[in-house]
Amino acid sequence: MARYAMVVDLQKCVGCQSCTVACNSEWEVPLGYARTHVRFAGPEGTFPRLVASSYIAQCNHCDHPSCVEACPTGATFQNTDGIVKIDRSLCIGCGFCVEACPYDARYLNPVTNKVDKCDFCSSRIDKGLQPVCITTCIAHAKYFGDLENTASDVFHLVYERASRRNETAQVHIGPNVYYLGKKKSVDLALATFSPRLPRLLTQGRLWRGLVRPLVLGAIGATFLGQAVAFFHQLMKGEKQFDE
Amino acid sequence: MSSTISRRDWLRWTSVAGAVTAGAAKAAEPGRPGWQGSRRVEQIATNCEMCFWRCGVLAEVRDGRVVKLEGNPDHPQTEGRLCARGNTGSQLLYDPDRLKRPRLRTGARGEGKFQEISWEQALDFLAARMSDLKRKYGAESLAFFPHGVASSFFATLMKAFGTPNSAEPAFSQCRGPREVGYALTFGSGLGSPEPVDLEESKLIVLIGSHIGENVFTSQVTAFSTALERGAKLIVVDPRFSVAAAKADWWLPIRPGSDIALLLAWMNVLLEEGSYDKDYIARYASGLREVAAHVREFTPEWAEGITELPAGQIRETARAMGAAKPAVAIHPGRHTTWYGDDTQRARAMAIITALLGSWGRKGGIFLPTPLGTGGFPLPPFPKPAQERADGAGTRYPLASEDQGLTLGLVEATLTEKPYPIKGWIVYGQNVLESIPQREQTLKAIGKLDLMVVVDVMPVEQVQYADLVLPEATYLERYDPPAVVASAKRPFIAVRQPVVEPLYDSRPGWWIARQMAQRLGLEAYFPWKTPEEHLESIVRPLDVNVRQLRVRGAVAFAGRPYIENRQTGDGPLFATGSGRIELYSPVLKELGFDPLPRYTQVIDPPSGYFRLLYGRAPVHSFARSENNAWLDALMPENQVWINSDVAKDLRLDEDQRVVLENQDGVRSLPVAVRVTPGIRRDCVYMVHGFGQESRALRRAYRKGASDTQLMTRISIDPVMGGTGMRVNFVRVRSAAEAG
Repeated sequence: MARYAMVVDLQKCVGCQSCTVACNSEWEVPLGYARTHVRFAGPEGTFPRLVASSYIAQCNHCDHPSCVEACPTGATFQNTDGIVKIDRSLCIGCGFCVEACPYDARYLNPVTNKVDKCDFCSSRIDKGLQPVCITTCIAHAKYFGDLENTASDVFHLVYERASRRNETAQVHIGPNVYYLGKKKSVDLALATFSPRLPRLLTQGRLWRGLVRPLVLGAIGATFLGQAVAFFHQLMKGEKQFDE
Repeated sequence: MSSTISRRDWLRWTSVAGAVTAGAAKAAEPGRPGWQGSRRVEQIATNCEMCFWRCGVLAEVRDGRVVKLEGNPDHPQTEGRLCARGNTGSQLLYDPDRLKRPRLRTGARGEGKFQEISWEQALDFLAARMSDLKRKYGAESLAFFPHGVASSFFATLMKAFGTPNSAEPAFSQCRGPREVGYALTFGSGLGSPEPVDLEESKLIVLIGSHIGENVFTSQVTAFSTALERGAKLIVVDPRFSVAAAKADWWLPIRPGSDIALLLAWMNVLLEEGSYDKDYIARYASGLREVAAHVREFTPEWAEGITELPAGQIRETARAMGAAKPAVAIHPGRHTTWYGDDTQRARAMAIITALLGSWGRKGGIFLPTPLGTGGFPLPPFPKPAQERADGAGTRYPLASEDQGLTLGLVEATLTEKPYPIKGWIVYGQNVLESIPQREQTLKAIGKLDLMVVVDVMPVEQVQYADLVLPEATYLERYDPPAVVASAKRPFIAVRQPVVEPLYDSRPGWWIARQMAQRLGLEAYFPWKTPEEHLESIVRPLDVNVRQLRVRGAVAFAGRPYIENRQTGDGPLFATGSGRIELYSPVLKELGFDPLPRYTQVIDPPSGYFRLLYGRAPVHSFARSENNAWLDALMPENQVWINSDVAKDLRLDEDQRVVLENQDGVRSLPVAVRVTPGIRRDCVYMVHGFGQESRALRRAYRKGASDTQLMTRISIDPVMGGTGMRVNFVRVRSAAEAG
C-alpha cells in the first residue's frame, strides 16, 4: 500500500509562488485563499549574521489527522494511501476541521460553502500525473512520491537525507510534508510556522457524538423512506397490474 | 523526439492542424477540436509574454475560452515549468480594464478625454499624421519607443518610413553597460537570455543580482540545480536577498563600491597566481597591464571603501581561484546603477577571463547561432539625419539598434540636433521605464503626435492622441523566439490560442495595415503570419506543423570552446582577436582602458540611498493590475534597517512617504522593518504606485521608485542612465500630509 508524501527543499525554493498560482488555477481556488502557498521567515539575527527561509504551507496528510477526528459528518476521511480527502456531498461547512488543523491548511470556500484544502492533486495522481505544484516548480524544489517505494525521490530524501517534519512536543500527529535545507534556515522556518494546538477538538467530538447519529439517522430514514416507497410502488404496481 | 504520440499531443495535433489548414489571415482558428466528454477542449502551444523570457506555454481552451495555462513539457528551455506570472496569463487576457477599442483624444493632453473610433479611422488618421510629420520635419522627426521581440514589425515599419530614432529602455536603463563591457573584453555581448552556465557551476557569484526575486524560469531552475549539486554561492548585495539567505558568503557591500571589491579580487588572483595561466596565455592580451594596475588595490585597500573585511575579500577570491574555471560570475541584467557601470561590467568580465570561465563548463557558455530565414526585403532608405540621441556619435559605443531613450526625450525637449515631433510607444510604459518623468511629461507636451500601442490603459495612455489596443500575447501571432544563447538552441512559436477579444488587433496586423497606407507594403511581402513563420524557419529544415503543435524545436548546441567548429566565426571578435583585458578601444576613445574605482556620492545626513529591485510575482510595471498577482502582492513595502527604524521610531507596516533630495514625494508606502538591509539604504520593489485610474486594481497601490528618480548619472562610455544615485528621507504619512 502506498504512503504518499512531499518533500520541500528549502535551500532550492526561492519562494516565487509558482506553486501557489498553479494550484489556484488548477483547482479554481477563490481569490485570497490557497490550498498551498509560500510563506517567509526572517531575516532574523544580528547584521550581518542573518537567517531567512521560505516555507510552504499546505495540508500535511498527517498519519493521525486531527481534522478527520473533528469532522462531525465523516466528510473528511483518510485514504489507505494516506491522502486526507473531503467528500463534498457530506460536508456541511461547519468549519470544525478548519479549527482542528494545527497547520491552518484548510479554508471554507465562500463560493461552495464547503471546506477545501490540498489533496495532493488526487485526481491527477489517478491519471498518472504529478501534483501541479510539483510540475510547475521552477526551482525543482518540491518532490512528491510514495514513501513505501524505496526507489522514490521522497524515500531517498526522507530516510537518507534526514528531511524533517514540522512537529513540536505538543503537536505530533505525523505530518507527511517534509523539509530539507540548511539547518539554520529549516530551524527558523519550522520554528516560525510551528503547528498550533488543534482548536475545538472537544466540541468537535461532542458534536460528532451528537451529529453523527443524527446524520446516520437521516441517512437511515431516507433509506427507510425509499424502501417504503419502493414497496409501496411495488404494491401499487401489483394493483395496477391487477386492473 | 519521441515517436509515440501522447493523448496531449493528439489534442494539439488535431487543433493546430485545423488552424493551419484553415489558413488565411484569420488569427485564431481553433479548427478540429479534441473532446473531453461533451466539451470541446484544445491544448495549444505558444510562448509566454508575461515577461520577455518567453517560456513554453500550453493553453487549455474550452469552448473558445482559456481555462488554464501550464508549462509546455516540449519546450527545451523550460520543460513544462511556468513561474507565478506565467501561470496567470489568462488574467491579463480577461482583465476587464483592458484597452478595448481605438481611441482618439478629444480633451487636453493628459486630461484623459477620448472618443472611440474604428480601426479604419484610426489607421487613416495615423497615416495622415505620419505623412504630415515627414513633409514638415522629415521622417526622422518621428521617434519610436519599443520593447520586446513583438515590436519587430513596427521596427520594420519605422525603418521603412525612414527614421533612425528608435530607443528601448532594455539598453540604456537596463542591460546596456554589461553588453558593452563584455563586448569590449570578449568581442561579443551576452544577449538575452544571458548564457550563464549556472547549473554546471561550482561557484556562483551574484553581484547585485537577486535571482529568486528576479525570476526567469530557466535561470532559477539552473540556479537551484547548482545549489543542489553543491555549488558554492557568493552574494554581493547591500540587502539580504533570497539568494543571500542561501549563500556561503554574503557580502553586504557599501552601495556604489563594487569596482573596489572587483579590483581587490583581481589583486588576490594575480598576486597569488591563482588565475588560469594557460587560458590567459592562449587567449588573452593585457595581463601585464592588469597586474600592474591592480597591484595597489589590495583587500586592505578595498576594506576601507567597501566596508567588507579584507579577510572576507581574500577568502572569496581564493574560493574563486579554487573553483576555476567553473565559476559563474553572473553579469547581471539591470546594470545601470551609478554611471560607472560599463567599467564595473568590464571588471566582472576581466575576472571571468582570469578564471578562464568564458566558453567553459560552469562559466559563461557560447551561443550557437541558428541560420534562420525570412522574406527578402527591399533596402531601407538611408535616414536623412544621424540619430538624435547620440548613439553611435556622442556615445560611440551605444547600441544603434537599441538607442538611448533619454537622448530621444532630451532631443524632443531641446529640438536639438533637430526637432522630434512624434512618438510611437509600443509595449513599454515610458513614464515608468525612463527616469526623470517630469522631463518625459514635458517632452510629451511638446509633441505634435503621441501614439500608444498597448494592451492595458497604463498611465501614458492618457497623454496619447491616438490609442491602439493591441491583442494580448494569447491572441496574436508574433515572430518566433529564436534563441541562440541556450545550451540547446531552439525556436519556439508565439501563436494565438483564442481570437482577439473586443476590438483589439495583433501588432503585425497594425504594422502591416500602416505600411499599406504609407505605400510601404513592399516591406511586408507576406500575406499571413503563417507565411512569415514559414519563411523564418525554412532554412532550419523544421516542419512548421510540428513546430506549431509542439511549440518548440531544439537543436544540438556547441556551448563550450572545445565544441566550436570552423565556420562558427572567431572565438573572440575583438580588434586583436584575443580577450582584451586591457582595452585599446577605451584607451583610444579617451576612457580608462582598465577599470578604476571612482567614489560615488554618499547620501547626505538623514537621507538613505534608494535601491530598487524585483519581486517574483510581478513584471516591472506591467502586471500590477493582474487579479491573481495583485492578490499575492497588492503593493510594495520599503525595507528599512531595524536599527534605523528604531531611531526614526518607525513600526512595521506603518505608512510612510519617501521624499527625495529634490523634494519629490512618493505615495504612502508600508514600512518593512528588517535587519536584512544596510543602514545607509532603503529598498523597494519597482512597478507599484501606478497613477492610471483606469487600472482599477492597481491604482495608487504602493509607491513608485521611478517617481523618485529625479537625478541620474550618465555612463560616459555608452550613455546609460545610472539610477541608484537618488536619496530619500522617510516621513510619516501623517506628517507629510
